[in-house]
Amino acid sequence: MAQKNSSPWVDYVIFGLTVFLIFCLIFESFIDLPGLVAWLGRWHPLILHFPIVLLLMSAALGLFNRMVPKLLLTVATISALVTAITGFFLGNEAVPKGSLLLWHQWMGAGVAILAVLWYWVSTNHLQQTYLVKGIQVVLIILVGFTGHYGGMITHGEDFLALPKSKKLEKIPEDPLIYEHIVYRILDNNCIGCHNPNKKKGELLMTDISELVQGGESGPALVLGDPGKSELIRRLHLPVEDEEHMPPDGKKPLSENEIQILERWIAMGASDTLKLSHLDSNEPLAGMVKKMMDSGTKNSWSKLPKVADSTLQNLASDYVTIKRVASNSQALGISVYLPPEYDPKNITDLKRIANNIVELDLSGIPIGEKEMEFVAMCKNLEWLEVDRTPIKDAEFAKLSGLVHLRVLKAYETGIGDESVAVLKDLKNLNSLYVWETQLSDSGLSQLMEAVPNLYIDHGIDPELKTDFIEKDTIVDSIQ
Amino acid sequence: MEEDKTNSENPLKVNRRHFFSQLSVGIGSLALGSLLIPDLFKGGPKPLAGQPLGIPHFAPKAKRVIYLFQSGAPSQLESFDYKPTLTKRMGEDLPESIRNGQRLTGMTAGQDKFPLMPSAAKFSQHGKSGAWVSEFFPHIAKISDEICIVRSMHTEAINHDPAITFFQTGSQQSGRPSMGSWMSYGLGSENQNLPSFVVLTSRGKGNSQGLYSKLWSSGFLDSKHQGVLLRSGKDPVLYLNDPDGISRSDKRHLLDHVSSLNKIHHVETGDDEIESRIAQYEMAYRMQMSVPDVMDIKKEPESIIKLYGEDSQVPGTYAANCLQARRLAENGVRFIQLYHQGWDQHGNLPNEMAGQAKDVDQASAALILDLKQRGMLEDTLVIWGGEFGRTNYCQGNFDLKNYGRDHHPRAFSIWMAGGGIKPGITYGETDEFGYNIVKNPVHINDFHATIMNNLGLDHEQLIYKYQGRRFRLTDVAGNVVNDILT
Repeated sequence: MAQKNSSPWVDYVIFGLTVFLIFCLIFESFIDLPGLVAWLGRWHPLILHFPIVLLLMSAALGLFNRMVPKLLLTVATISALVTAITGFFLGNEAVPKGSLLLWHQWMGAGVAILAVLWYWVSTNHLQQTYLVKGIQVVLIILVGFTGHYGGMITHGEDFLALPKSKKLEKIPEDPLIYEHIVYRILDNNCIGCHNPNKKKGELLMTDISELVQGGESGPALVLGDPGKSELIRRLHLPVEDEEHMPPDGKKPLSENEIQILERWIAMGASDTLKLSHLDSNEPLAGMVKKMMDSGTKNSWSKLPKVADSTLQNLASDYVTIKRVASNSQALGISVYLPPEYDPKNITDLKRIANNIVELDLSGIPIGEKEMEFVAMCKNLEWLEVDRTPIKDAEFAKLSGLVHLRVLKAYETGIGDESVAVLKDLKNLNSLYVWETQLSDSGLSQLMEAVPNLYIDHGIDPELKTDFIEKDTIVDSIQ
Repeated sequence: MEEDKTNSENPLKVNRRHFFSQLSVGIGSLALGSLLIPDLFKGGPKPLAGQPLGIPHFAPKAKRVIYLFQSGAPSQLESFDYKPTLTKRMGEDLPESIRNGQRLTGMTAGQDKFPLMPSAAKFSQHGKSGAWVSEFFPHIAKISDEICIVRSMHTEAINHDPAITFFQTGSQQSGRPSMGSWMSYGLGSENQNLPSFVVLTSRGKGNSQGLYSKLWSSGFLDSKHQGVLLRSGKDPVLYLNDPDGISRSDKRHLLDHVSSLNKIHHVETGDDEIESRIAQYEMAYRMQMSVPDVMDIKKEPESIIKLYGEDSQVPGTYAANCLQARRLAENGVRFIQLYHQGWDQHGNLPNEMAGQAKDVDQASAALILDLKQRGMLEDTLVIWGGEFGRTNYCQGNFDLKNYGRDHHPRAFSIWMAGGGIKPGITYGETDEFGYNIVKNPVHINDFHATIMNNLGLDHEQLIYKYQGRRFRLTDVAGNVVNDILT
């Protein structure tokens, strides 16, 4: 398989580049690159595709015992060297280097040097040894890993992670403003580029002191003064502006997120502040609550998956099924009275019972069967059974629905026997029970048992009389 | 030749050859794109149009809206914005430093003086919240703990048509979709048997301004999102009833045939408006059953009729419309838009406004009470207000018994209730003259953003691309007013 060396200067070029690469790697900490050379580093993302393809192709040919064309191997080796050197220039912009970048750098250099070794072995007619096969196998593996680490640096570490492993950690009930709210915003939007591996603009955003210390453009955060904080200034710039952050092509922060950061900085950027420390009139509390709400509701993230096609099959002109929010498995269902009512319209929904969090059966002539179905909806939070013929016997089926927050049962036949059922609904916030058989004593029992429950027993009688008896007359004017 | 013709007729129809020739370009540009924009294939929320339609973006506080629009612009100075300074300085000229170059309408631009005019109606504080409400609105005063009064609304328009168009569509120039159409587009219908956007109109005796169907038009959105005007009387929807001698089963056969013809046409052309048309025929067929049922007020008990006032028995009055609105809301209509005309008091304000207030006061307050007892304030947002405010200076005769006020865009009052709005608060403040806002201004864009937020929609995400640009209800502005949210 001896091949004629086309020209000796190719060998010199490869030798020279190899020496230069090794020199760079050894004296890395002493090197201060001139601007133009640093700019050459920007070509790394373009050139790197050549050695990946060419080396993999060469190694594959070799492993399948085909002849590796000399020209292919030459070009592959040179491109690997150039890629490693430009990569070194590019990486030199980030100081200190994060572990991802270090791995990428040394494996990349390894690829280049292995390629040179192969080139040297093959020009010296040692093709058929196991050494060459070994080099080829190691090269394939190394190219894969180098490429993967490089990809993680540019696209973020979880780029190749499976979608479901995406962080959906729930925000705790009483979050720390920095750790659970602010850090989450920064992590989702900024830290991808401002971390020890990438450190764009010399700025690290992984903790408060780094933000205060800032980067090339000065401190990113000035305690107590959002107006002077570079971070806030850049968030507010128009999207077209060069300096707007996050940069063009990335998702800008929502208005609420920006306001949270601003208010948190204005309040001194504390890392110990909790939501419960905030006054209820403090705007930050509202913004934080909004952010907590907009994330998937905690209790809903555990609901089983339900396909859109299932919903379409079960829905009809009189049964409306909607997801409570996009990407949510929680369902809200409204039933309207069809010309010919059949309990099956409702009991057919059994398949998705666990997903139903809101159910409106107002005005439907429901009976025992339907209420048995309702009892199966264990995650129900909102139930409307007002203006239905149900009585205590049917109502008793609701006893297991511990998540119920809102229950409308006005204009029904329920009476004092239902008080026991209601007492056990610990999460109930509001109850609507006017025009029922519930007695005053039954209601006061309930009020005692569940003091925080809002019970609507119809419009305040005094107010009602006022409305009913006097028609609006503006006496003083006429 | 033949092939060219099919292609020019059916832009959505692509044959195999076209598909492959375009595919190569497509894959190439995808690859290039991923190099230039590293995040191109990254998961997570997308900046534009990433949200599916017909579902809220996030869990909503409100499922529906009842908008009690007071057309003509009721005066804030005789309703919710109490300004004792105007009484103290009655008759003095409005200082130039306060007017500060505000443009005027042709109706008062010629006046050589702008004498300050106090309110003819007395004010007092009500409820635990201590909200100031004038004696024109005794019933609303009684429910002041249920509502959030915003005294710092402002707009840019100074005339009725642009101002009302701005409120309804987010733009002063007509042609954009109405707010109700946007909600129907973004949230879909709650009840397949009724339109998701319904309009009811009524008229008081006061000086009134025109209403026009462009206010509830769906603009460039699909026509199924258009508001449906329900009329009072025997035929709430015109031409909905079958002609004599046509039975419901005949109608069914007719519709089945028409629909199969339409489907053939749809396969041929791929035009989506044909699908809308099929859906609308079906909707109309179901509405033949559902509308008379919903509109039948006779089913309401005496006590409810009295709560809304005796007027509520008279079809076409504001009170009847309020009661109707509650019934429509109960039946899953997303957006119920009422208009009450007659609030344009350029003259004879004390008498005319008292009359207008009499029309709407009890019914508006009764609606809130009725919704509350049904637990519907928890997921229904009610809005009461006009298109702009009125000036603090007198137009025409300077007489406390008979004066007028001109249009004023810089500050006016509205109120909202339920659907995720904090009850029992007064938000925003104007200066002592009631002319400029000094605290917490709320622009119409902010108002729209807030309503959409409570309905579970991100106003920056609900977009529609038309004529080469992306449109939003809030156009390029609007901030959610977090301070008034629960």
